[in-house]
Amino acid sequence: MAKSNNRGYAKINGRAVLYGVLIIIAAYYLLPLMLMIMTSFRSMDEIRMGQLIEWPKSFSLDAWSMAWSEVQIGAREDRGLRPYFLNSIQMVIPAVAISTILGALNGYVLSFWKFRGSELFFGALLIGCFLPFQAILLPQSQLLGSLGLAGTMTGLVLTHVVYGVSFTTLFFRNYYVNLPHELVKAAKLDGAGFWIIFFRIILPLSAPILVVTVIWQFTQIWNDFLFGVVFSDPSSQPVTVGLNNMVNSSTGEKQYNVDMAGAIIAALPTIVVYVVAGKYFVRGLTAGSVKG
Amino acid sequence: MAELKIDNVYKSFGEEHILKGINLDIVDGEFVILVGPSGCGKSTLLNCIAGLEDVTTGDVILGDNDITYAAPKDRNIAMVFQSYALYPNMNVRKNIAFGLEIRKMPKTEIAAEVDRVAKLLQIEPLLDRKPSQLSGGQRQRVAMGRALARRPKIYLFDEPLSNLDAKLRVEMRTEMKKLHQRLGTTIVYVTHDQIEAMTLADRIAVMKGGVVQQFGTPQEVYDNPANIFVAGFMGSPSMNFLRCEVVRSDNDYAVQLESQGKKFDLPVDPQQADLSAHLGKSVMLGIRPEQITHVMQHLVSEQYITQISVKIEVTEPTGADTLVLARINDQECECRVHPQEVGKVGDSMDMLFNMSKAVFFDEATEARL
Repeated sequence: MAKSNNRGYAKINGRAVLYGVLIIIAAYYLLPLMLMIMTSFRSMDEIRMGQLIEWPKSFSLDAWSMAWSEVQIGAREDRGLRPYFLNSIQMVIPAVAISTILGALNGYVLSFWKFRGSELFFGALLIGCFLPFQAILLPQSQLLGSLGLAGTMTGLVLTHVVYGVSFTTLFFRNYYVNLPHELVKAAKLDGAGFWIIFFRIILPLSAPILVVTVIWQFTQIWNDFLFGVVFSDPSSQPVTVGLNNMVNSSTGEKQYNVDMAGAIIAALPTIVVYVVAGKYFVRGLTAGSVKG
Repeated sequence: MAELKIDNVYKSFGEEHILKGINLDIVDGEFVILVGPSGCGKSTLLNCIAGLEDVTTGDVILGDNDITYAAPKDRNIAMVFQSYALYPNMNVRKNIAFGLEIRKMPKTEIAAEVDRVAKLLQIEPLLDRKPSQLSGGQRQRVAMGRALARRPKIYLFDEPLSNLDAKLRVEMRTEMKKLHQRLGTTIVYVTHDQIEAMTLADRIAVMKGGVVQQFGTPQEVYDNPANIFVAGFMGSPSMNFLRCEVVRSDNDYAVQLESQGKKFDLPVDPQQADLSAHLGKSVMLGIRPEQITHVMQHLVSEQYITQISVKIEVTEPTGADTLVLARINDQECECRVHPQEVGKVGDSMDMLFNMSKAVFFDEATEARL
């Protein structure tokens, strides 16, 4: 009896240590966010008088409205991050949608409609995953220039789609090779063609990998700065560029509270996407490993 | 329903030759089984019939139509897959209806057809379930239902029972035979299980290395195997192969067996083989375990039965019979004995060798003599 009790305590103690460590690690990662949120609620007077890291003595949302629609960024007429934020939305929705659809189709073809050299094609496509952003800046700007898309939203979306297709294809192809091929054979004998099989059989089975791909592409494209700064002009700059321009403007006083609020605004959509669909993200990543 | 003619079909993947000249004439309403070890090309042949693989050369003719290059959907063929391949996102009703919808059948007819098939296979209570909610046997039925719904000219089955447990497999086997008798459709069925082949088929095509070794009724294949491979593959426990010498016996020929230091001449039924060209040479005797039994008095005096005393090396009770492993001509030989007659391991035991169904093979070519 006594022995088993001891063992019970040992178990509880072990758990306590485990959770203790996890809480400390979680706190370590959450601290910067906490600091940002706290600072965004303080007024500049308070920050100037006190220290940068301090509990807020007053609470105001002024910094948030400043960052959103009042602060002067560069020389443009529209104030605040709002126009940049809207640009980002205009960029991210078509870019994610198109790259995901293309990835799904590519994966479908490369898994179920193999052709001579399809493996080579897939291998070549994978090289795209290893290309650093910087390597394609020059050729891509030449291409966009000759297409007449330089500095346009369309050009930016095109760049993200082309760059993202390697990843989305990889995701879908690796998911589809684990689906039983007999499904497609059965559908062929049932009289279904390429598109019917895709839309009625394969796509309904793709929910987990769709979620993974959408989250991945959304975060990649939303958070991208380099393409955003290189391939855009003021009318099409995404929020990452806007935030940079806002924070790095060298004139006047550094408004830490506005900077913090702006940074949170810029990061908010990705946070929301993770919170809403994060569960499916993990599930989708491991979906291939368990036979459905 | 229709007859299927497979005419000199070859299939290669690059340098790898999977099918090497397959010829099969399958008549209307026949249940044909393609059987063979894995890698013999039986599934490839089935895929070629279905149109899921293109043949390299040769023709596939269904009824009056040459379908060699037709798309799978235009062949009017239905197939049941080993994994069943039910669409996981659709319930049973939609699974069965899918092929009909694609073929633009009116809704009311589809509903009637689904009901007919469901009744036939007794899956009516399952119609609104998803495949993941079904047991293995139920999935199997649904897969068959999907094939039956389109009323195709010919049905293809690719190892449909191999994912079921042993008991269910035997049950479904009987059911499939009943179904075939009721519907009278042409079926081509692939299996690696020779018992399934024996029990189900009207005719069996035994395949090996991309070649049909023999195409005949189950009894023909069992009693008159074309070569050592077919003889060894069909039947369980498998046929004994004993290397032995051909000697003269009266006006006919006999083969010589040696057991426990004594030699015996076993007269050969001239109807089974003409061994005149092999006198003094060694041939391969093929004799099934059930043709070597314990001594039964009413058989002792029959013409082609010889009594030989053997040494028992191993006994394997199977319930109905006990298999006795003996050593003859210094080769292992299995005998099938009534459990009550079996002696102890190490003892000698008298066996009756019934040569009336024995077969003989050339040692080098492995072909039947």
